[in-house]
Amino acid sequence: MAANFWTSSHYKQLLDQEEVDVVHQLDREKGITLEDFKLIKMHMANYIGKLAHNVKVRQRVVATAVAYMRRVYTKYVLLRPGVGRKMFWKSMTEYDPRVLAPTCLYLASKAEESTVQARLLVFYTRKIYTDEKYRYEIKDILEMEMKILEALNYYLVVFHPYRALSQLLPDAGMNDATQICWGLVNDTYRMDLILIHPPHFIALACIYVASVLKDKENTAWFEELHVDMNVVKNIAMEILDFYDSHKMISEERINAAMNKLPFRP
Amino acid sequence: MAREIKTGEIVALKKIRMDNEREGFPITAIREIKILKKLHHENVIKLKEIVTSPGAEKDEQGRPGKYIGVLYGNKYKGGIYMVFEYMDHDLTGLADRPGMRFSVAQIKCYMRQLLTGLHYCHVNQVLHRDIKGSNLLIDNEGNLKLADFGLARSFSNDHNGNLTNRVITLWYRPPELLLGTTKYGPAVDMWSVGCIFAELLHGKPIFPGKDEPEQLNKIFDICGAPEESNWPGVSKIPWYNNFKPTRQLKRRLREVYKHFDRHALELLDRMLTLDPSQRISAKDALDAEYFWTDPLPCDPKSLPKYESSHEFQTKKKRQQQRQHEETAKRQKLQHQQQHNRLPPIQQTGQGHSQMRPGPNQQPMHNSQPPVAAGPSHHYAKPRPSGGPSRYPQSGNPVASGGYSHANRGQGGGGGGGYGGSGAYPPQGRGAPPYGSSGGPSGGPRGGVGGYGVGAPNYPQGGGQYGSSGTGRGNRNQQYGWQQ
Repeated sequence: MAANFWTSSHYKQLLDQEEVDVVHQLDREKGITLEDFKLIKMHMANYIGKLAHNVKVRQRVVATAVAYMRRVYTKYVLLRPGVGRKMFWKSMTEYDPRVLAPTCLYLASKAEESTVQARLLVFYTRKIYTDEKYRYEIKDILEMEMKILEALNYYLVVFHPYRALSQLLPDAGMNDATQICWGLVNDTYRMDLILIHPPHFIALACIYVASVLKDKENTAWFEELHVDMNVVKNIAMEILDFYDSHKMISEERINAAMNKLPFRP
Repeated sequence: MAREIKTGEIVALKKIRMDNEREGFPITAIREIKILKKLHHENVIKLKEIVTSPGAEKDEQGRPGKYIGVLYGNKYKGGIYMVFEYMDHDLTGLADRPGMRFSVAQIKCYMRQLLTGLHYCHVNQVLHRDIKGSNLLIDNEGNLKLADFGLARSFSNDHNGNLTNRVITLWYRPPELLLGTTKYGPAVDMWSVGCIFAELLHGKPIFPGKDEPEQLNKIFDICGAPEESNWPGVSKIPWYNNFKPTRQLKRRLREVYKHFDRHALELLDRMLTLDPSQRISAKDALDAEYFWTDPLPCDPKSLPKYESSHEFQTKKKRQQQRQHEETAKRQKLQHQQQHNRLPPIQQTGQGHSQMRPGPNQQPMHNSQPPVAAGPSHHYAKPRPSGGPSRYPQSGNPVASGGYSHANRGQGGGGGGGYGGSGAYPPQGRGAPPYGSSGGPSGGPRGGVGGYGVGAPNYPQGGGQYGSSGTGRGNRNQQYGWQQ
């Protein structure tokens, strides 16, 4: 989208893991732990993915929607020289993720030029989740959309690893690993990586993981890139850690976390 | 216009229209915001932020919020506004000032800034799609900035999607769009630049067509008729056969404007090239001899500052007069409506009305309260769909002299004021019509919900800023938003 990532708000808003891993006071009061917080965000990322599959939008829209969702629940401080600071940070208690998630998809579909009608989202949500806690109406989406726009400070452009991936893979002679890398990148949205690392680093990390999985010797290629391999390897480790811990995540644990959220009246 | 309370800075506001939105926040506004947020250049207007006014339910009394001047009344309940840096003039307004003569160095200075800003947009893969004088804002430091990205769109070279051809104000619309192409690129903006360049040199618009066919005829008359020989592929453009001129027309641009400076004519010729693929790019235009020969473009800071309180006084009088005339005009228009043809596209209601400061149409008093309503609420009644046509048919009583004068510079407004009877000076003119496709505005203010131009509340400044607009902002038009 924007020609230059380095001048973008996305780049300026990158945070450290520790900054992302902070649970809002209001949510803590409801007993939501950091682990719950991460689980709920992952669950919502999955929800967005399922919904997107039903309404048939591109993966890019899903990625943008998930990034929006994660940003809303993350603390950002905007400094306005001479005017003061403004904080953007919403709790799950105030902004019910069960409405926020589909609304993020709704907004992302506009921002990525593949508009989805609100009524379709309402329809498919009812198909996916019979639980009445997931029920919402069109007006809830429209109302939440305004709140999200404000919470995002109207920064709607998100850069994703996909473009970098499609440029890097042929260069690395790894066209045969396109599928696996694409899948890996999709899975990174179940984590907060997009809030923390520049997208091309995420792409490189996925290529790195894929090289290991496919037993492909790529050291020379990575060296020639002159990028900080420590960053790439750290992201790769995070991805592998996530897959490890993911095996232990059960439906019950997700439900337990979700049940701590207050139910909308 | 409004003033930020904390900093005292003057800003311009543009309301995002939310009424009639079934699908929430308008996608057109999302595009505009995305584009503005990614463009940071000295020749592109700066979007400072977006604010939501709390609306009437929170504050019945209209207590000032963050910005003085935003109306906190029933009208703007929960309104969302884009906040822009404030600019003193727009190019058309400046050029329209009685007795205004731009120097050669000044024209070069403006043209260079226009091209620099546009080149930046194109490099960042943004098409402006509404380049015209009233969207080129100029401050008293001589800086020119591109504004109103309400029709702008991102394009990418790899993505060959179809784009709408119903963009760009008619007088500045390139032949390829008039012929119905839906695949186009930065060259469309360059045609508009050419039209503006010619206008600056010539003193008035060179292609003032009143509808698409006439627009094409005016272009062909000067630039020659398009054929496969001068524009390969032209015959495959959708409406080529409908508009093909019946007789041979030779390009006579260099002949008609032979009195222009040689380098200027050279550059103009390359901008007003029919074939978009052969039209000069912004980058190449900046390298043109024109900008590198004497007199060189002057330093923006050396340009005269135009605003003065003395002038405001005269303007204020003129505005009052205008207002009276407009009241009369509005009454006439109401009778008029059913006779006028409907535009092809109805106003979709997605557009946002411009909030750039314009001449306040109400008589201004320094004693006005801080959050005085913009004048717009007079016209803010729901627009009848397919409101008055912008082009009065000939013989239409609406196009009488006095009315034309009233409409001068009141862009977007009802029946076009040009085509009038010559009751006003030659350089005076109404806003160019936004094609017959643009949703005509219902009232003279170029848009329902129009301007929340709050009257400034600081005593001495009452007029100084409020006056500002030599036609500023009042050429804003409502568009039928598409794609």
